[in-house]
Amino acid sequence: MNEELQTALKLLQLLLGMRKRLRVSGPSMLPELQPGEEILFNPKAYRQKLPKVGDIVVARHPYQKKQIIKRVAVVLEDGSCFLTGDNTSSSTDSRSFGFIPPNKILGKVTSKFP
Amino acid sequence: MFKKIAAKLKTNFPAPEVQAHCDGPCGVYDPSSARITAEAVVSMTKKILELDPKAGDHKTANTLSRYIAIKEEQAQKTKEDLLILWTDYFKPVHLEKYPDLHDTFWKAAKLCSACKVEVNLEHANELMEAVHKIHDMFWATKDRDVTWYKAS
Repeated sequence: MNEELQTALKLLQLLLGMRKRLRVSGPSMLPELQPGEEILFNPKAYRQKLPKVGDIVVARHPYQKKQIIKRVAVVLEDGSCFLTGDNTSSSTDSRSFGFIPPNKILGKVTSKFP
Repeated sequence: MFKKIAAKLKTNFPAPEVQAHCDGPCGVYDPSSARITAEAVVSMTKKILELDPKAGDHKTANTLSRYIAIKEEQAQKTKEDLLILWTDYFKPVHLEKYPDLHDTFWKAAKLCSACKVEVNLEHANELMEAVHKIHDMFWATKDRDVTWYKAS
């Protein structure tokens, strides 16, 4: 699929509410995600199935009113995830705040935007 | 065309933020900030105890309330600095080497509260010792020999 078509599909998914857009702030997902880049995530990705190790997910911070973006390192049977930043030296993640329960995992990052 | 629309959307209507941050300034931690504030707690506790609460003049009352305010503020700051080290810097791997890590921080945080509420030189000195212990643990995890020193 060429880029133009891919972008069209992303716009359509956004329009239909199948994807949500967020802008990355901070260096903890370098080199994959640069600060300032936008991503799309699927808020319904984990309605029927559990997150997989290696997925990049959007989650609610367990103690603060903010959303975080991290990679899944471990998944427990109940869907709780141990999340880590790719750039571990500049990441506050499950190493500090522990496992994130499934109701705080908000969705799976599907692509960058555009 | 679609790429242009997407680019325009991104420029004109930026998406809400999602954090890929660390809480500290990107890995910069140092127990010396807790040491400085803990020293201030010891100093203010001593100064309060040296004052005569029966003096009854405005000057003494003013000095006393200032000392108390500073002691409480510095004790609270020490607690915050220690909690950041505890929850953000120290990792499970450090716990293997220092099994009493949680207990050390918990007791140190409790001492901060005690020093804030009371005027107790013994507790203030115990807080200083706890910060010293944390200093030693912290630098040992980095394999660095940083000498403990005090400003006062």
